[in-house]
Amino acid sequence: MRFLIICTSILVILAGCSGNTEGEFPQENISIVIPYGPGGGFDTTVRVFAPYFAAQLGEDVNVLPQNMPGTGGRRGTASIFRSEPDGYTIGILNLPGLVLPSILGEKVDYELKQMSWIGRIESQDYVLLVQESSDIKSIEDLQAVDKITFVSIGYGTTVLAAIQIAAEQLGLMDKDLKFLTGYSGTNDQLVALVRGDGNATISPISTAVQYVRSGNLRPLVVTGNNRNSNFPDTPTFSELGYPGLTDLNVQRSLAGPPEMDPNVLSKLRDAFLRVMEDPEFLAAAALAAMDIAPLNGELAAAEIDANFRYYEKFKTNLSNPNQL
Amino acid sequence: MFESLLTAFSYLLSDGINFFYLALGVVVGVLFGIIPGLGGATAIALLLPLTFGMAPEQAIILMGGVMGAVSAGGAVTAILLNTPGTAPNAATCFDGYPLTKQGKAGLAIGAAASASAMGGIFGLLILVMVLPVAKTIVLWFGPPAFFMLALLGLTSLTVSSGNMIRGLIAGCIGLFIGFVGYDEIGGTERYTGGNDFLWDGLSIVPVLIGLFAIAEMLVLFVKGGTITEAGSQANIRFSDTLQGIKATFKNIKIVLSGSVIGSLIGAVPGIGGVVASFMSYSFASQITKDDNNFGKGDIRGVIAPESANNAKDGGGLIPTLAFGVPGTAEMALFLGVLILHGLNPGPMLLIEREYTIFVLILTMLGATILSTAFICFAAYYLVRIAYIDSAILIPSVISVSLVGAYAVHNTLGDVFAAAFFGLLGYLMIRYDYPRITLVIALVLCSLMERNYTQSMIMFEGNWTGFFSDNTALVLFLCSIGALCIPLIQALNKKRKNSGGTIE
Repeated sequence: MRFLIICTSILVILAGCSGNTEGEFPQENISIVIPYGPGGGFDTTVRVFAPYFAAQLGEDVNVLPQNMPGTGGRRGTASIFRSEPDGYTIGILNLPGLVLPSILGEKVDYELKQMSWIGRIESQDYVLLVQESSDIKSIEDLQAVDKITFVSIGYGTTVLAAIQIAAEQLGLMDKDLKFLTGYSGTNDQLVALVRGDGNATISPISTAVQYVRSGNLRPLVVTGNNRNSNFPDTPTFSELGYPGLTDLNVQRSLAGPPEMDPNVLSKLRDAFLRVMEDPEFLAAAALAAMDIAPLNGELAAAEIDANFRYYEKFKTNLSNPNQL
Repeated sequence: MFESLLTAFSYLLSDGINFFYLALGVVVGVLFGIIPGLGGATAIALLLPLTFGMAPEQAIILMGGVMGAVSAGGAVTAILLNTPGTAPNAATCFDGYPLTKQGKAGLAIGAAASASAMGGIFGLLILVMVLPVAKTIVLWFGPPAFFMLALLGLTSLTVSSGNMIRGLIAGCIGLFIGFVGYDEIGGTERYTGGNDFLWDGLSIVPVLIGLFAIAEMLVLFVKGGTITEAGSQANIRFSDTLQGIKATFKNIKIVLSGSVIGSLIGAVPGIGGVVASFMSYSFASQITKDDNNFGKGDIRGVIAPESANNAKDGGGLIPTLAFGVPGTAEMALFLGVLILHGLNPGPMLLIEREYTIFVLILTMLGATILSTAFICFAAYYLVRIAYIDSAILIPSVISVSLVGAYAVHNTLGDVFAAAFFGLLGYLMIRYDYPRITLVIALVLCSLMERNYTQSMIMFEGNWTGFFSDNTALVLFLCSIGALCIPLIQALNKKRKNSGGTIE
């Protein structure tokens, strides 16, 4: 009898253990790796998103933001790529920021196309800006000027790539054209334009809004299919006959390592989509000035191919303008 | 403006919970300041979710409390253990730690805390004064001016380091280390050997932890005993701290110059607090003529960087209010807090909700004073660290240092970097090369190089452009002046001496 009791209790304990390890995902906390430092746009996005994501995943689950800055986002991305595909480590990724290094022929330790894409949170269009006091009031004016100096953050960044592609598409290449690169962020770059270090730049819209409202900078044209609600009077590139520039944007998408268990992935994807419809999250996102543009996992993955195709097309224009 | 100030003041007094948030912010700020590797930015990022349910002004009080308190906390570690608690406290090690060795840790902590408070107050006064012309100040500094600023920093440094040749060698090593990493303008990797860790260049905190904390522990290991060479625990008196506070008031000129330097550098986006405190240190060491003991335990070497360090927070608000652009890392996160609470940082905030700005200013004022009081009282107990036997102290400090180095970016590479620079620092102490010069050159290197290249692109390769930029020209003339000072001093001495022989 005693033997039987012992056997049963051992079985019960074993059952309990296996119940813990093979139970419903998620059983423990989930980390979202942010491949950039605290305080930037990617960091804000994750910190706003995380609590709502946790609420959708289950009662006892926390979603923990984890900053892993370095090598322009490649270090954090490589770490996500190498992590266990158990769904407990995912990350927020920058498009086309992580596509560009491969296009520019640098070695990367990740394969974006193999990763398990959970969904896109944000997509931001660009705006082309000049000083408010400038005589340049339209694209035609810009094309008529002899000397153009674009201020920009450094080589290898999405902003410089956007400027180079726009310069080519607008036919500015045969002018006295300079790219004043090296500013340490989009804010520095916009202050540099206000100061007059150069006479034009391109920046993601959310950073630029403040400078336009305060009467320091003037928006000339935006990327994207539709006009931006912040600048209702500013035309899009496609309205002006430059459809090649419509697809320039920056996207923030969630992804996990390759070969994630399909059940786990579909749970993450479902929870993600529910957050994107959660009115409380949308209100918080609006407060944080996020550009929510949700795409489900499959469509977010398709954006990777689209990005590779788009930037591959302009490969020859993307060499370093200030190569020593 | 006065009306908004009153509204802000009455808001702060209206609810007891405001004081609770202020005190909480100060305690968190001091602790995050004291622990190496953690700083204001980390504290704000961690507290951010806590503010979701708060009114915007309450969130500002909590964050303002942190921002006002961090640097005072960081100074304690710099003085007692030669490890900067936060990166901008690095310059405080130079004289703070020698003072601890002489058994004057209480004095140094009192001076650092009170200089922090005074610097904070002056910085905020300067902020209120220049708010109407904030935008102009930010626009003074383009790439040519930044380059000249870095040049001025390097010049005054070489002049003030005692042994010129060894100073130059240490400075060159600093510049060389500064070149390691990816060059954003040229688009090439330099001295990285294909190593991903070196791609971002060496970050300043692990280098400082190695050069100062670990190196000193090696010295202590060889020597044995305790950090403090003179006196015993029985001599610790609360009056030491009071003496330190007195010293700050006696050197009010140093505090003022430090505050102006701090505000100015804080106001310019993209330079950061490290440069502010270093510039203030080298400026003070240069204008001090009588009993210049800088680097060997001069109380003015503690007062100068600490006053600049806190004044920079006031200055950091200038670009924030003028453009909505962060001047410092903490400010970048603070902007995020404002946006999250539905406030749009930038000039509109100043027009629409002036009193909110004053809530922040008053909070930071309260936080600097509160944290100073807190640290002054705690100093009595904290200084006992300097009397702990080396057998216990060395392992603890080395572990804290290495964990601190790791915590900055969660990279193992930083731990190896700290260890490497620990050995280098030990050799530099052994053979008498100035570590300060190496660090300042390292801090200024990327600022100098980037802005030089940018200026040359702007001028299309014609270097005379540097002299057509007004700010750059003024800074250049200051550098020339800095080079002339020792010459003039030498001439004066000679004249006096020759005068003596005639008589």
